[in-house]
Amino acid sequence: MVNFKTSGATDALRRACPELRLVTEAGVLASHGRDWTRFREPAPCAVAFPKSVQQVCELVACASAERIPLVPSGGRTGLSGGAVAAHGEVVVSFDRMRRVLDFDPIDRTVTVEAGVVTAAVQELARTRNLYYPVSFASEGSSQIGGNVATNAGGIRVLRYGLTREQVAGLKVVTGRGEVLECNRGLVKNASGYDLRHLFIGSEGTLGLVVEATLRLTDPPLPSKVMLLGVGGMDALMNVFDTLRADLALTAFEFFTDRALHYVRAGLGLPKPLDTACPLYVIAEFDCPTGAEEDRAMASFERCVQQNWLLDGVISQNDRQVAELWRYREGISESISHFPPYKNDLSVTISRVPEFLQRMDELVDEICPDFEVVWYGHIGDGNLHMNILKPGAMELSEFESRSHEISEKTYALTQSIGGSISAEHGIGLLKRPWLNRAHSAAEIEMMQGIKNVFDPAGIFNPGKLL
Amino acid sequence: MKILVGIKRVVDYNVRVRVLPDGSGVDTDGVKMSVNPFDEIALEEALRIKEAGKAEEVIVVSVGGDECQQQLRTGLAMGADRAIQVKTGESLQPLSVARAFLKIIEREQPGLVILGKQAIDDDNSQTGQMLAALWDRPQATFASKLTLSDGSATVVREVDIGLETIEIDLPAVVTVDLRLNEPRFVKLPDIMKAKRKPLDVVPLEDLDVGADSNLSVTKFAPPAQRAKGIMVEDAAQLVQELKNRGLV
Repeated sequence: MVNFKTSGATDALRRACPELRLVTEAGVLASHGRDWTRFREPAPCAVAFPKSVQQVCELVACASAERIPLVPSGGRTGLSGGAVAAHGEVVVSFDRMRRVLDFDPIDRTVTVEAGVVTAAVQELARTRNLYYPVSFASEGSSQIGGNVATNAGGIRVLRYGLTREQVAGLKVVTGRGEVLECNRGLVKNASGYDLRHLFIGSEGTLGLVVEATLRLTDPPLPSKVMLLGVGGMDALMNVFDTLRADLALTAFEFFTDRALHYVRAGLGLPKPLDTACPLYVIAEFDCPTGAEEDRAMASFERCVQQNWLLDGVISQNDRQVAELWRYREGISESISHFPPYKNDLSVTISRVPEFLQRMDELVDEICPDFEVVWYGHIGDGNLHMNILKPGAMELSEFESRSHEISEKTYALTQSIGGSISAEHGIGLLKRPWLNRAHSAAEIEMMQGIKNVFDPAGIFNPGKLL
Repeated sequence: MKILVGIKRVVDYNVRVRVLPDGSGVDTDGVKMSVNPFDEIALEEALRIKEAGKAEEVIVVSVGGDECQQQLRTGLAMGADRAIQVKTGESLQPLSVARAFLKIIEREQPGLVILGKQAIDDDNSQTGQMLAALWDRPQATFASKLTLSDGSATVVREVDIGLETIEIDLPAVVTVDLRLNEPRFVKLPDIMKAKRKPLDVVPLEDLDVGADSNLSVTKFAPPAQRAKGIMVEDAAQLVQELKNRGLV
């Protein structure tokens, strides 16, 4: 890596930060040198485990002076290679910063260190009879710092928004060694640039998030989940439109028959419906009384009469809510062994059918030999495209073929005004195509912002920009 | 043969139950209510027996206020043919529930009664046993497998030392355990059909069963809070902490 100090970095850090735990064991380098992506071999020179904001500041000061590249690392469940250290960088792990610092029942906020696991915040909220709504498949491992850095989304964005909507304050260490206290938990703060929002989704390129103050909300009403069999893509949007009008939806997720095949095989799940359908939907809605269930029935009946829906089941208790969710949440895990090449695309909701239609044509044309598994958050216009590696193909050949597909996929996405990354981030894997998401002028301004916060360019070099 | 299945409305298994501040009960306001999970397994078993051609009719019965009709409708949507609500505003003890069930049995003459082994709210595990005694028929409790043949049933029971297989003459009372089956999802079209299935309401007074009880609940209290744990840095500190507490 040009102009960076990687040899001797460990010694320099040991001298400058004697209190800092710095690990160079092969097992830790391998485990902490990458996220869930498998396209690069991990090769950091060391993994730092700071214990306090003070230690983070010392680490950054030394790295900045010595030009040591740093890769911030949370629960390492990312899917774009944002936490991959493949070039002798120092990984900064927040595994030892897991304290809950404050809970305020009046503000309804909780302040945590960056290494606190997402599910722990959810659990803490529950014990206070409140709710932390950001929820996704890897919530048991992912950390709040990483959630902030990637603006994590998940399955309840439709109702509650992304991580950005929950962040009331951030404490950040910049590349210049300053500690910024952004927004300090305020609800209203019209005092100029809100730097907090620059760090959210910055993928570790501007600074290290060390603490976050998160908003908690009312616990959700009792809900029910329907698993519905849909006739086709146009029908899917009509079903969404109908259910959204009739019910208080908290989630509206779709997956294809091929996704169902893999999740059933992988998790050993029974057939959810008697009827085979091309598409399936998981719809979750508030259902505190029988009246909402009656409305759901009427809504279902109307969709059946229009031939939009072919079949459906509904949960009768919270155990079944969890069982039905497994059909959607288990997909990613059930295809992970291929491995899949993941694209995480978004378009405006109204253009989802057009986009999927054109993507189908594109896939038929350029890679009829690949299996493609689609699922996603229809209510957010967010589609997860998973290209499965054929068993016999070499990983390197698969990656280069996938790149070709990406090139055309992103061109199509751009042509209808979409984004090449809805929630996974640009990281390492999507970086060659940042120009499909932003204009040259925008990218230049992003680079300018990066230079302000990280003049030495030590934070996550080679990612995002 | 008719099969009678008991269904109780309880706070959903996944809900974190909160004791009311005055200790008079648990907070059920706005809380999700469901069919007692063991009763759901009982109904699933009855439906499978009917689908295998060994029974003609499945009747679900619940004892309670009108709100328990919601759970009876769930039973009908799962596939029961009709429902009976024994209507009472009182909270009954197991003996009274068993007496009410006996009256329904006398009317319906079922060949088999399947109940959950216990309800998850009061954990009594008494109704099935009391009913068998009042009815003077055999009982097989904690069933994890049920096989019917002419006039008898072979039941595998979950007991402390393992599994016990017994054979009982029908009619009989069977109470079911968790591993018997996995209840089905309810099909949406069947919920609509369930609305047209018969649901009879029988006032408890008409059955000549008293709601009186020898038991009165004096107080509800949440379990004692566990002391907060601490995180130790290393093995040495762990040993030291254990020593400080006199544990090693």
